Amino acid sequence: MSTLNMLSWWQWSLLGAIPPAIVLLYFLKLRRTPLEVPSTYLWRKSIEDLHVNSIWQRLRTSMLLLLQILLIVIAMLALLRPGWSGNKLNGDRFIFLIDTSASMSANDVAPTRLEEAKRRAGELIGQMASGDVAMIVSFSDSARVEQQFTDNRRELLRQLQAIQPTNRGTALGEALRVAAGLANPGRAFEISETQVVEGLPATMYLLSDGKFDDVAGFSLGNLKPVFVPLGQPDAPNVGITAFSTRRREDKRDHLQAFARLENFGREELTAQVELYLDDSLLDTSQVQLKSRGSGGAVFDLGDLHAGVLKLRTHSGGCLLADDEAWATIDPPTRGKLLLVTPGNDALEFALNTESARELVEVEIGKPEVLKTKEYLQKAAAGYYMLVIYDQCAPEQLPQADTLFIGRLPPGGAWTAQVKAAAPQIIDVETAHPLMQLIDLGNVQFAEAMPLKPPAGSTVLISADVGPLFAIGPRDGFEDAVLGGEIVGVDAEGQRYANTDWPLRLSFPVFVLNALAYFGESTAATGTTSVRPGQTIALHSAAAAETLQVVSPSGKSFSLKRERGENFSFSGTDELGVYRIDEPSLPPRRFAVNLFDGSESDIVPRPDIHIGYNEVHGQAGWEGARRELWKPLLLGALVVLCCEWYIYSRRVHL
Amino acid sequence: MSTTSDVLLTPELMTQLERLELVSRKIFRGRLKGERRSTRKGQSVEFADFRSYVPGDDLRFIDWNTYARLDRLFLKLFFEEEDLHFYALLDASPSMQFGTPTKLHYAKQLAAALGFIGLIRSDRVRIETLGQPAGRRAPAFRGRQSVWRMVEHLRSIEPNESGSLAQGVKNFCIRNPGKGIVLLISDLMDKQGYDAALKYLLSQRMDVYVIQVLSSEELVPEIRGDLKLVDCEDNDVAEISASAPLLQRYQKTLAAFVDGAREFCSHRGMNYLLANNQLPVDQLVSSYLRKRGLVR
Repeated sequence: MSTLNMLSWWQWSLLGAIPPAIVLLYFLKLRRTPLEVPSTYLWRKSIEDLHVNSIWQRLRTSMLLLLQILLIVIAMLALLRPGWSGNKLNGDRFIFLIDTSASMSANDVAPTRLEEAKRRAGELIGQMASGDVAMIVSFSDSARVEQQFTDNRRELLRQLQAIQPTNRGTALGEALRVAAGLANPGRAFEISETQVVEGLPATMYLLSDGKFDDVAGFSLGNLKPVFVPLGQPDAPNVGITAFSTRRREDKRDHLQAFARLENFGREELTAQVELYLDDSLLDTSQVQLKSRGSGGAVFDLGDLHAGVLKLRTHSGGCLLADDEAWATIDPPTRGKLLLVTPGNDALEFALNTESARELVEVEIGKPEVLKTKEYLQKAAAGYYMLVIYDQCAPEQLPQADTLFIGRLPPGGAWTAQVKAAAPQIIDVETAHPLMQLIDLGNVQFAEAMPLKPPAGSTVLISADVGPLFAIGPRDGFEDAVLGGEIVGVDAEGQRYANTDWPLRLSFPVFVLNALAYFGESTAATGTTSVRPGQTIALHSAAAAETLQVVSPSGKSFSLKRERGENFSFSGTDELGVYRIDEPSLPPRRFAVNLFDGSESDIVPRPDIHIGYNEVHGQAGWEGARRELWKPLLLGALVVLCCEWYIYSRRVHL
Repeated sequence: MSTTSDVLLTPELMTQLERLELVSRKIFRGRLKGERRSTRKGQSVEFADFRSYVPGDDLRFIDWNTYARLDRLFLKLFFEEEDLHFYALLDASPSMQFGTPTKLHYAKQLAAALGFIGLIRSDRVRIETLGQPAGRRAPAFRGRQSVWRMVEHLRSIEPNESGSLAQGVKNFCIRNPGKGIVLLISDLMDKQGYDAALKYLLSQRMDVYVIQVLSSEELVPEIRGDLKLVDCEDNDVAEISASAPLLQRYQKTLAAFVDGAREFCSHRGMNYLLANNQLPVDQLVSSYLRKRGLVR
C-alpha cells in the first residue's frame, strides 16, 4: 500500500481548512424564519416527543455533520491516490522495448498482444515518479526509436499509443543496440570527442512474445532487462507458410497452385482452405494437420493466363495475418531477344522459325550496336529477356540473361584456358532444360576454349579438355557461355564454320530450348512473392523512367530509376497484392505474404537469452498499480447520496 | 364590517334559530319567572297537584268545582315556571386572534347564536370573557328586545392579555355563583392545562359545554423549512425544522390532546365539542349542538 501525493502543500492546507469550516458552520446556528403561532404548546410537545422517542432524530443533525466531514476525508484520501503497487518500477531511467512484429497481432490476449503490451507499458509509465525519464523503442525486424528519453509522461503515452503493428519478422539485436547505446554511451554509435557521458543504469522493459532468435554475443552492461512475456502458451494458430504457382511438368500449359499449411497449436485439426481467383471462389480443399505438423494442398488451375489468386483458411486460430495468402499470375508477354553478331546465318535462321517467333521478338545487330546509347540504355533497363553475343562481348553485362558464343562475359568471373583443337564431347547434361532432347554425339568443334565457370554454375557440355558449355547465375540472371564459336573468322578475315552443329537437328532444338528456358520467367506463371518489409527489385519492361506501385490499400508509390538500373521498392509493409503500373503497358502485380513460420508460431517463450544472460519472463502481471481512488470516489458519492437523503427527509414533506 | 363574516347574526340564521331552544339537563331555580318549569310550585298554567286548604291560603287557587262535589276545600297547585341562566364564557386571549375567520370571531358568532336562542326563550343570557376581572360582571340580557344589546356587547369584546385559563374560569365562578348552562368557548391551549379550569366549572354544578375552537392552521399546519415559532401570548420560541416526521408527530400530539380533553369532559359529565373555524356556525348549532342536546 502506498500513496502518491497529487497536491502541493498550499492546496493541502486549503483542503484541510474545509472540515473545521464545516464544523464552524454547524456551530453557527441555522437562520430560521420566525413565524408567530397561536401557541407553541403542541409544537413543543411534538419536538419533545421526537427527541425522546428517537435516537435517530437526535443523531440526525450531527449525522449530517459527520457525513460531510466523512465526505471531505474520503476526498482527501482519494487525492492521496492510495494503491497497491503490482509491478513496481525500479530505478529512474526506463527503456520500453515494444515488439511490433507480426506475431504481436495475435488476438489470444484481447484485443491483441500489441495492445496489451501498450497497456502494460502505459501502466508502468503512469507509475513514473516526477524526474524519472523513459524512452520507447518499437522493434520488428528493425528498431525504431518512438520517443527519446523524456520525463514528459503525456508525450510518452502519446507516442506509445501511436505505435502500430507491422507484419514483419522479429530481430531483437538492433533494438538492444539502440537501448544499450543510450544506457552505455561508450558503445554509442557516434561518439564525438567532446561527448563524455557517464553511463547511466537503466531498466529495460522488453514487452514481447519472445519470438525472436536469442541475441548472442551481446553484453547488457548497465542495462537491467525485465522481460514481460505476452500471449497464451496454448494459443492455437494455423498459418499458410507457402503458396505458389507452377507449370505442370507433364502439361506445360497447365498451372498448379501449391499451398502449405502449418498447425502451431496443440490440437490436431482439419483446416478448410478456399482458393479464390479474382475474389470469386475457385476451389476448396481440406488439409489434415497434426499437432505442430504441416500439410499441403494442390490446386489444378488449368489453362490460366492471368489473375490474382487468394488462398484463405477459416481455421486460422489467433493470428489473422497468416490466414490469407496471395499469388499473382501475369499474362504472358513475348520476350525481346537481341542477337549481336557480325554474321551467323545458322543462328539467325534458327531464330526465324515459326516456333521461335511465337516465343520471342528478335532484334539482330552488328557488334557496333554495343556502343550505341540506345543499346546501353535498354540493356541497363532490363529491356531484353535474352541477349546472345556471338563472337563479341559487351563492356558491361546487361540486365538480362545472356548467351555468349565463343567469347567470355566481361567482369572476370568467367575464365577459360587457351583454345584447344578438336575437343571431343564426352557428356551432355540432358537433365537441364536447356539440353533436353539434345544429342551431340555427332557434333564436332574445330577448336574451343575449355571454360572455368564461376562457382554455382552448371556444366552442360563436357569435353575431354574441359567444360565447353556452362550456365551460371548472376544477380537474378543467368549467363550461359559456349566455349566454341559456331562461325569463326580466320586471320584473313574469312569466315569459316567452326562446328557442324548447325547442320544437325539438335541445333534448332537447342535454340528453342534456350528461348523456352530463358523466356519462362515471362510466361504466365506465378510472379514472385516477397515478405513484408522486404525490398523488391522491379524491372521496367518498357525502359520507363518511373514506375507506379499501388499497395493493397490503394496507397500509391512513385518509383524513380536507381542509378540508371533497377527500381527498388521497400514499402511492402502491407500484406496483399501490389500493382505495378507502367505507361503503355498492362499492369503487373506482385504479392506480399507473411510466409514466416517463426511469426506464425505464436506460442510465446517464457525465457529469453541475451548474450550470456538468461532473462526470465515475469510470470504474473499484477497490473502496474491498483488504484484505490476510484472506489474511494464512489464511496464519496454514496456518502453524498446518504446526506442528501437524510437532508431531504428532514426538510421535505 | 359589512362582510357577512363580520356580521355576528344574520337574518337567515336568526330565522333558523327562532325554532330552537336551549336545553338544560338539570333543572335549576331561577330568580325571575321564566318559561321553564321549576321544582317549586307556583303560578303557571301547568297543573301540578292538589292539597288541603289551610287558613291563610290564597282564595284564588281554591278549586271550586271540587268543593261543590266533595264539600271540602282543596287548593290547586301549579308548577312554577322559571327562567334559565345561560352563560357564554369566551376566551379572548391573543391566541384566539388567529385563523380566518379568527377563532374569536367564530366564538362570538357561536355565543351570539346561542344567546339569541336564550333571549327569545326568555332565558337570562350573560356573555363573559376570561380576561374579565373578578369584580366586574357583564350585563345580563333578557328578552327579545335585548338581542341587539347583546350583539353590541359581543362586538365590543377585544382580544386582551388575559391570564391563565384556570384563573379566568375561577373569576367567572366567583362572579356567577348561580346555576345554569355555561358554554366555554376556548382553544384550550393553555400551557398550565385545562384541567383546573374545567374543575372549577364542575364545582359550580353547572351544565357545562366546552367548545374547543381551533383554526385549520392548527389542525392541519402547512409549514415547511427551518422555522422559529413564536408563541403570541408568552413569546415562547420553539425552533423546528418542519419535516414529515415532525408534522406526523404534531398530528399525533394534537389528536392526543383533543382526545384527552374529550375524555376528561365525558368522564365528568361535561359536553365537549371540537369546532373547526371553517365549519359554519349555523351548521354547528343546528346539527352538532342539537345532537349533543344543548338545543332542540
